[in-house]
Amino acid sequence: MKDFQYARATSVTEAVRLARRPGAAFVAGGTELLNLMKDSVQAPDLVVDVNPVPLAEITQHADMVRIGALARMTDVARHPLVRDGFPLVSQALMASASGQVRNMASIGGNLMQRTRCWYFRDAAMPCNTRSPGSGCPAVNGENRWHAVFGGSDSCIKVHPSDLAVALTALDARVLIDGRPPVPIRDFYVLPGATPQVETVLRHGEMITGVEIPRAAGTSRYVKVRDRASFEFALVSVAVLLHTRHGVVQDVRLAFGGVAPKPWRSVDAEDVLRGRRLTDRLLDEAAEVAVRGASARRHNGFKIELLKRTVRAALDGAR
Amino acid sequence: MVDEGISRRRVLAGTAAAGVAAGMTVNASATASASTGVELTVNGEKHVLDVEPRVTLLDALREQIGLTGTKKGCDRGECGACTVLVDGRRIKSCLTLAVMREGAEITTIEGVRHPLQEAFIRHDAFQCGFCTPGQIMSAIGLLAEGEPGSDAQVREQMSGNLCRCGAYPNIVRAIREVSG
Amino acid sequence: MIIGKPLDRVDGPAKVTGAAKYAADQHIPGLTHAVLVTSAIARGKIIRIDTGQAARSPGVLSVITHHNGPRFAYQPPKHPWIYGQTHVPLQNDVIYHSGQIVAVVIADTLERARYAATLIQIDYAVETPEISVEANLDKAFIPERGPFNLRYEYRRGDAHGALATAPVRVSGRYRTSMQHHNPMEPTATTAVWDGDHLTLYETTQALAFTRQKTAEMLGVDQKQVRVVSPYLGGGFGAKGYVWPHTFITAAIARSLGRPVKLVLTRAQSYTMHGHRAETVQELSVGATRDGTITAFVHSAVSQTSMLNEVSWEEMDATTQLYACPNAELTRRVVRLNLGTPTPMRAPLSVGGYALESIMDELSHATGVNPLELRLRNYSTHNPENPSQPWGTGKFLRDCYELGAKLFDWPHRLPRPRSTRRDGGWIGVGMATAFHPTYVSAATVSIRMDADGKALVRSATQDIGTGTYTIVTQTVADALGVPAKSVRFELGDTNFAPSAPSIGSRTAASVGTAAHHAGSALKDKVIAIAVADHRSPLYGIPAAQVTAADGQLFHRLDPRRRETYADVLRRHGPVDSEAVWPAAPGISRSYGAVFAEVTVDDATGEVRVTRLVGAFDIGRVLNAKTARSQAIGGMIWGLGTALTEHTIVDEHLGRILTANLSGYLVPVEADVPDVDIAFVDKADPAASDIGAKGVGELASNGATAAIANAVCHATGRRVRDLPITPDKLL
Ligand SMILES: Cc1cc2nc3c(=O)[nH]c(=O)nc-3n(C[C@H](O)[C@H](O)[C@H](O)COP(=O)(O)OP(=O)(O)OC[C@H]3O[C@@H](n4cnc5c(N)ncnc54)[C@H](O)[C@@H]3O)c2cc1C
Repeated sequence: MKDFQYARATSVTEAVRLARRPGAAFVAGGTELLNLMKDSVQAPDLVVDVNPVPLAEITQHADMVRIGALARMTDVARHPLVRDGFPLVSQALMASASGQVRNMASIGGNLMQRTRCWYFRDAAMPCNTRSPGSGCPAVNGENRWHAVFGGSDSCIKVHPSDLAVALTALDARVLIDGRPPVPIRDFYVLPGATPQVETVLRHGEMITGVEIPRAAGTSRYVKVRDRASFEFALVSVAVLLHTRHGVVQDVRLAFGGVAPKPWRSVDAEDVLRGRRLTDRLLDEAAEVAVRGASARRHNGFKIELLKRTVRAALDGAR
Repeated sequence: MVDEGISRRRVLAGTAAAGVAAGMTVNASATASASTGVELTVNGEKHVLDVEPRVTLLDALREQIGLTGTKKGCDRGECGACTVLVDGRRIKSCLTLAVMREGAEITTIEGVRHPLQEAFIRHDAFQCGFCTPGQIMSAIGLLAEGEPGSDAQVREQMSGNLCRCGAYPNIVRAIREVSG
Repeated sequence: MIIGKPLDRVDGPAKVTGAAKYAADQHIPGLTHAVLVTSAIARGKIIRIDTGQAARSPGVLSVITHHNGPRFAYQPPKHPWIYGQTHVPLQNDVIYHSGQIVAVVIADTLERARYAATLIQIDYAVETPEISVEANLDKAFIPERGPFNLRYEYRRGDAHGALATAPVRVSGRYRTSMQHHNPMEPTATTAVWDGDHLTLYETTQALAFTRQKTAEMLGVDQKQVRVVSPYLGGGFGAKGYVWPHTFITAAIARSLGRPVKLVLTRAQSYTMHGHRAETVQELSVGATRDGTITAFVHSAVSQTSMLNEVSWEEMDATTQLYACPNAELTRRVVRLNLGTPTPMRAPLSVGGYALESIMDELSHATGVNPLELRLRNYSTHNPENPSQPWGTGKFLRDCYELGAKLFDWPHRLPRPRSTRRDGGWIGVGMATAFHPTYVSAATVSIRMDADGKALVRSATQDIGTGTYTIVTQTVADALGVPAKSVRFELGDTNFAPSAPSIGSRTAASVGTAAHHAGSALKDKVIAIAVADHRSPLYGIPAAQVTAADGQLFHRLDPRRRETYADVLRRHGPVDSEAVWPAAPGISRSYGAVFAEVTVDDATGEVRVTRLVGAFDIGRVLNAKTARSQAIGGMIWGLGTALTEHTIVDEHLGRILTANLSGYLVPVEADVPDVDIAFVDKADPAASDIGAKGVGELASNGATAAIANAVCHATGRRVRDLPITPDKLL
């Protein structure tokens, strides 16, 4: 890790003023930034500590709940407004990382965490996200973990945040200082030919929070992983399901572990909406959910696994 | 050495907005009283350290203050051996900078006397002992978060602390005994 | 008697307070920090290495590459034994595997060394590495046996003939993964020179190995090297042999004239001290219709490195566990651009996994209950040497019985894929555990002072297995004093030399030496007392005096007594020392493991819901620590079965999971409560105190028991470890 300047900001204005400098980076919980710096993936010249900025509140508004960017994962997951109003968010958070990490990590940092792709995290290997143009060894390499949706020949990373999957299902909006709220679906950017661009956030811009519009229904976050806890998702499914007399009024489906961004399946939602929730319909929806998925050498199982997980999640939510 | 560090930083505090040399800690909201020496409160004791901003809390505790009870198992937040309490909450000290924890109350294994320690011995909740300080600090943090209501909850909530010797079932028993 | 009792660990208080000092915890004035730079490529040559920027970086004291690397007095041989590997880095420009040491940076602080290490620029001439075992099967060869006398070929009877004519034949191709030991404590060396004497604070399972080989490499006398390791944060084989980072650090400290500390990063630990090799095994069993086994044919291929030829994955369970007249075993290796493998807890476990899986397959094929099948093929004599009865060396029947009872093993197994609970398939499985355990020379010395307290010392190790505690108990019993009157110090080559803590030998070897040293000391003190007219024991024949609770007394007239302290206050301190055994020995430990799993119907996630192990480890020295070790071993088996897998990129040859988030060791949530039973019958043939090894044994059995349970739950036999969800879809 190279030596850097460290500055503490106590307000958004100050934070942004400092972070606009070339080579500056925010630090909140540090649970991601420090790892990336230790692994020489990122090397900021100036680290702007935003922890003193008063942005940790969770507040209720007419038709939504607003969560400050510096609220910690633990506190968000346990907050009554979230636990009762958006259990999907609580579940996704509690299925993330470990107790210690959740006590440190902020919501803003969580949304900005970068892929766990092993080629990205090892600076000795090529990676188009880390060093554009160097190539993507995952495409023809060990890609069991990699994307079946939304990838390109330049990059098939997956986005690792569980929270982002839940927020995508909930149509949350990311609050960025100096800009109108950005729907989370538009916040993340697919790799295409420029995998180094991962979000719409520009250098120096600060996330101040997220807004989650109220939505009716029961929800379920199902996370499939290689060990029982403290592990990223192979595949995860967030479902919000609103039925009346067995008929689907509204449904949202978002997937993790399968794409460079949280993957929303509007097609599967359309199949479900307005119809009676039978076993046959679950099968059909699961089938549609994986339509368009494409596998590489080692990740074909994700398609089948996703299909089954979608079905199980819908079944669990009904 | 320590004094020199502080005065050097003081000089720079006022010039925060300008380009300052790497290695300097600056308080951007520089008020007149801004002191920028890294001052840590560990186990109730104040330590003024001359460390670069890149020094993690873990390395500061171990290499600067000499509190080696807190262990470095992975340096990536993946094992939990470095768990300490900051303001009563369990965190991984390898993933935070020392300078970020100025003004906080830091508690390490050396600063605790807790029934869990006896319970760990009684239930043989360790073998090599290397992960043990982290396990105990994590368990203390867990108890403070609210009594875990079942074995299953302890298992889930303690999953951030790896134990390669495989003392897991004994750890659960030790924690359950203390949590009642 | 304290021996056998569940005494709390005597090192417990130090470990729960943070007071225990591990190798990287020493405070040494003027300490400098070394950081390794490792090769990015797996095969080729360094054509340019630019250290200029690193050398000019603040705080840097020295940058070392093959151009200016330390030169050594010795070249380790091609058969790894004590030396972990042949290759000595920093001697030339050749790259044999990714993650090989190519430079070392020494600086005044860790941060500065770490950063400067990133500034070294290296150009390589890259060659295509060989990485895959499967792709190189045609190049597999049988290695030489080497000094450790590893067995690569074995034959009895006519295995192929018997297999061809067997009424029931089952064959399987099993694959096990490359795995890493991953002790929680990263490997560390701190080298401190005082004139021409070196002190090494080292993470080692074998003080004597480190001393001997570091001296040999540096060209100094062993007496000039002291190795200190009072606490070890686990090793599991990774710290068993001597690897280059140790003597390189010592050499650098010598030339720098400053103490140097090197702590491997977790990532570096994946290429610096070995791993368990991946294996591909073909195993066939022939049997009669009632399940009586007539033949085993077992052939295996595993990976070795470019310069070493070795396979530690011994498969003797196939030829030694069950009564079977015909058996053939062949083990081959392929050379790959990976590091040299090393033993990992426990070498027989991957072969044992295949054997105990094929037993399960045979049970399915014959309809004989898996437990009954094993009893039917029980061996009372060594199948390799029918004139040798197992005698007191085998109480496996008791294990089956105890385990089956604890688990409530069904006499009739439900059909595979027939039991469901909460959206999951339930299955049960069992397996036999088998492992050799060793003894080799250990020396224990005792000094008892005028206060009647015994100071026991031995240059042995406590790698978490409980050496501190069981030796304390053993000596206390031998002397007839309470455990609190005994203080045991270990982990320092200044003490009497002892056996390495590898091959599950410490408890039996050091324990027995401790027992003899204690008895000898007691005899000495009794002899002094009965010869001393000031003693109430004066004139009593020594054989009629015994000791308990710190008191020496006349067996026939216990009122005639005095304390050890009384005698020693008059006489002064008394010393004793014992060495045991005179010659190395081998015995075998056994067990039966039972598992229940739930497999999620939708996702294929496997959870172990019950785990029972019953073990024959000879005499149990401490019921608490032995139980813990057994539990720990079974969790190792669980990891091998379900989660652990080192993944290497086939083209680049880099390990992709060189951390603890990609390489998944089980976490708390993976592990159910584990029930343990011990037969607890002494095996005097194994050691004078009747004890044998437990650590490696207990990590056998669980892997196959879990895999068999998965098969029972789902009806699918996965022959490729670990059993991750994708393999069950
Ligand atoms: C061992 C381990 C296991 C994990 N497992 C999981 C898991 O299972 N599921 C999961 O979802 N996550 C997991 N995580 C990731 C974890 O959730 C993230 O590391 C964490 O949420 C990041 O938050 P932070 O506040 O610590 O971010 P930081 O490290 O402080 O920052 C991360 C990034 O966000 C930027 N940033 C921070 N705040 C802002 C802001 N307000 N505006 C703009 N940019 C900002 C920083 O500049 C930096 O680039 C795991 C992490 C670890 C270490």
